[in-house]
Amino acid sequence: MSDVRKLTYGGAFNEAVRQAMEADENIFCAGEDIGAFGGVFGTYLGLQAKFGAHRVVDTPISEQAIVGLGIGAAVTGLRPIVDLMFMDFICVAFDQIVNQAAKLKYMFGGEATMPLTITTGGGAGLSAAAQHSQSLEAILCHIPGLMVVYPSNPYDMKGLMTACIRENNPTIMVKHKRLLGMSAHVPEENYEIPLGKANIMRAGTDVTVIAYGRMANETLVAAEKLAADGIECEVIDPRTLQPLDTDSIVESARKTHKVLVVHEAVKFGGLGAEIASQIHELAFDYLDAPVARIGAPFSPVPFSPALEQHYLPDAASIEAGIRNLVQRS
Amino acid sequence: MSTVGIIVNPNAGKDIRRLVTPATHTSDVTKIGIVRRAIVAAAESGAKRILLVPDTHNLAQRAADGLDAPVEVLDEPVSGSRHETIGAARRFRAEQAGAVIVLGGDGTSRDVAVGWPDAPLIAISTGTNNVFPTAIDGTSAGAAAAFVARGIVPLAVVGHRSKKVVVHIDDRGVVHEDLALIDLAFIDAMFVGARAIWDPLTVRAVVAAVATPASTGLSSIAGRIHPVGRFEPGGVFVRLGPGDRHVRVPLAPGAFTTMHIAEVRPLADGETITMKGQCVLAFDGERERPVSADATVTAHIESTGPLLIDVDHALILAARDRIFDATNHHLTKDSHGS
Amino acid sequence: MDLSPPVQFDLHRRMVRIRVFEEAAGRLAEANKLPGFLHLYVGEEAVAAGVCAALNDDDHITSTHRGHGHLVAKGGDFNRMMAELMGKSTGMCKGKGGSMHISDLSLGMLGANGIVGAGSPIAVGAAFANKYRGRGQVAVAFFGDGATNIGAFHEAANMACALHLPIVFACENNEYGEFTPRSATMAITDIVDRAAGYGMPGVIIDGMDVVAVHEATLEAVARARAGGGPSLIEAKTYRFYNHHGIQNLGLKYRPDDEVARWKERDPIFTFEDRMIENGTMTRDRVDEIWAGLRGEIEVAIKFAEDSPLPTPDQILVDVYTSMTGAAQ
Repeated sequence: MSDVRKLTYGGAFNEAVRQAMEADENIFCAGEDIGAFGGVFGTYLGLQAKFGAHRVVDTPISEQAIVGLGIGAAVTGLRPIVDLMFMDFICVAFDQIVNQAAKLKYMFGGEATMPLTITTGGGAGLSAAAQHSQSLEAILCHIPGLMVVYPSNPYDMKGLMTACIRENNPTIMVKHKRLLGMSAHVPEENYEIPLGKANIMRAGTDVTVIAYGRMANETLVAAEKLAADGIECEVIDPRTLQPLDTDSIVESARKTHKVLVVHEAVKFGGLGAEIASQIHELAFDYLDAPVARIGAPFSPVPFSPALEQHYLPDAASIEAGIRNLVQRS
Repeated sequence: MSTVGIIVNPNAGKDIRRLVTPATHTSDVTKIGIVRRAIVAAAESGAKRILLVPDTHNLAQRAADGLDAPVEVLDEPVSGSRHETIGAARRFRAEQAGAVIVLGGDGTSRDVAVGWPDAPLIAISTGTNNVFPTAIDGTSAGAAAAFVARGIVPLAVVGHRSKKVVVHIDDRGVVHEDLALIDLAFIDAMFVGARAIWDPLTVRAVVAAVATPASTGLSSIAGRIHPVGRFEPGGVFVRLGPGDRHVRVPLAPGAFTTMHIAEVRPLADGETITMKGQCVLAFDGERERPVSADATVTAHIESTGPLLIDVDHALILAARDRIFDATNHHLTKDSHGS
Repeated sequence: MDLSPPVQFDLHRRMVRIRVFEEAAGRLAEANKLPGFLHLYVGEEAVAAGVCAALNDDDHITSTHRGHGHLVAKGGDFNRMMAELMGKSTGMCKGKGGSMHISDLSLGMLGANGIVGAGSPIAVGAAFANKYRGRGQVAVAFFGDGATNIGAFHEAANMACALHLPIVFACENNEYGEFTPRSATMAITDIVDRAAGYGMPGVIIDGMDVVAVHEATLEAVARARAGGGPSLIEAKTYRFYNHHGIQNLGLKYRPDDEVARWKERDPIFTFEDRMIENGTMTRDRVDEIWAGLRGEIEVAIKFAEDSPLPTPDQILVDVYTSMTGAAQ
């Protein structure tokens, strides 16, 4: 009975990669520890055994060269999936991501295609401290030429990862580390969720909450609680952060007149600022209140669980934020 | 006088043969280490002056850096060409060096011989397929050089006269005199190119002063047919081409090929070989001089090369004379006022 | 080992094509007819020509900010290159790349690059793809001495060796990183001293001698095609003009006698002299070749000048590709 089949978020990623590699010999994976070890988060488990060491390649700890490997292979006709273990490590590879992968097609007058997927583990909540916990998606979204994808659940993971692999532009697939064990129904057959399409996770009339990654799940918890008090939240997961589904967001804002954006990245200069600004530009007259934002304080991610749990937004702080917004009008 | 000169060729051990054969790469760091050990050993062994010349890679300066030794880096022009070595040898002769340590390949020793034909020489191989220089550690070389320079070990006993191939080129009225220490080869080519020789089909003929089957490179062709030792008089001429004899030869380190031998002719000292025609002349294994179809090249072998110092023998004589005994050693240092 | 006359002519033509293109570009820049930066390859022609003549059209190269020479040597079209330098819509990159990003994927030229050292990891990727497909293609990464001080180069060199890829690292050591001499920025003199540290052979060749460069590249490429793995060729060379453009900007960072000494070893003129002495070429034929290529450059300049500028609606075109491509 395929309709009750469950997979974890990490397992859904793995299945998407496996099915894509079965269908297309031009797809290969490369990264640190992804071969025999299966990746530090287990997301590449079993792939090297199935496809061989030439298609699932263990690389040196060389983030620039890992991304460069992907770029050079993509521009010469393969479809690479390269893994940067932690999202923090994109900084080590930033030249290759920002100055090369994102721009080659444009600089070459459109001649190049760059079917490159960069996968990475983002997000906090594991006491991994300041260099293994960041949410740097806003920086990536700022770069023309890149696509940024951030699934919030196993079903979306499989469909979005499939789309990333099929995409002819460089995509960055962010896997939230705290969601890897999340289990839910995932169809066995291959399917694709189009990039750039938001998901209305919960329909509502009183307030729109935009959240992605783990925060989408925290928001759903808050929304259920608020529903008991008669506050109906519309929860939108953009799923793809670049390109952003502004239409769906603005449409919802025009309907509910109140919008909160939630992310676990620091609030200042975060994606919430862009989303709020777009709503203000496109739906100002419909708003009963300025778009509100919840994000992390402007500090590095702290190590101690005592600090980290206060650093991160959660269902309770989101609930409070929504109540605060709803009371304004 | 107890003056020791040290010459290091920064370009040795880095040419194309590392690509076409398993030849060794000799890094700057390796060369600096050898020179540094030679300086320390020469100072330890009583050399009063240790002369170096500057080079493009600053190897000499870096080797001497911070050492408590009587090192002088002489003011000589840095050209990056073989003239650096030739000039250094001339200068060392003028400075009355009692022994010269040279790091490089056959070509480097050849340049020393151009600058100072009778140089008392310790030749350390940092090149590729070397016949003239050998694998000697700087520590031993520095000590032997100092003992010879001080006259503690007589050069007449430990120095052995090497040979050379004397070359005379007459190319459309332009006359050029040259020499090789090991071999002169006639290469079927138009260009100097990457200098080294690894294509057996291009080798037309070789005049070898030293022909040993234990060597690699051009001299091994003759060496595997008609061996001639480094201190025996005369040499051998080999012409390649269709013939009855086919010999397996390591034309470069670790790279064997079959050479087809058309003619083998032992050469007495002074016996002249004459060759005509367009080719590139290779001296001690490197393509160097293209000559035209009108050129006449004559070559003969003489026992007038540098005096090659037998390091082992020199150190054995020093040991027999108790030069290494601490008592003697300290007396030695005191007598030099260091 | 020795080169047939047709190969000699090919090497010569590639070098002269670079020289006439670069000198024309320099003149146009002096006349303020080219926007942006211009890093001229004059003096280093033997390297690009000697290397690229050893490659097939479907072999890949990555280039540097001094990249025109590499594209010309790989067979780049004068008209579209010149139009690109002028920022025209008919340019190689439709006016979106310019001098520092000039490229032609159809010739396997994966782009000049404004970031020093950034081409090497990309060449590693191309080499990986070539090995993956198993069609015997190789990749060559061109880079300067200065690029060997940046992390990307080290990562690329190590990864290429770790994965045993068909790649040649071609270092153009022109002794200056922009305006600073090599001796101020590294404690070694020869880049090849680094090669052994990655586990690949490295060789030094005279970068002013196109025959030497070509001989070495033939060997390195043959080795790579045969599965022998990466190698590094260090060509000692020199740029005759400045880091950027032709004018010295009053900057005196290279001694005049040093520049003069290198110019005496002009890679094109010395090669022509040798060919003429060998009897494979005549002075008249040499003059004809130069005149013919200078004529082609004049045509290219005219083509570029007559070409339309890109329209503002092109700004957003080609930021992204609009279709997907994987097998499903």
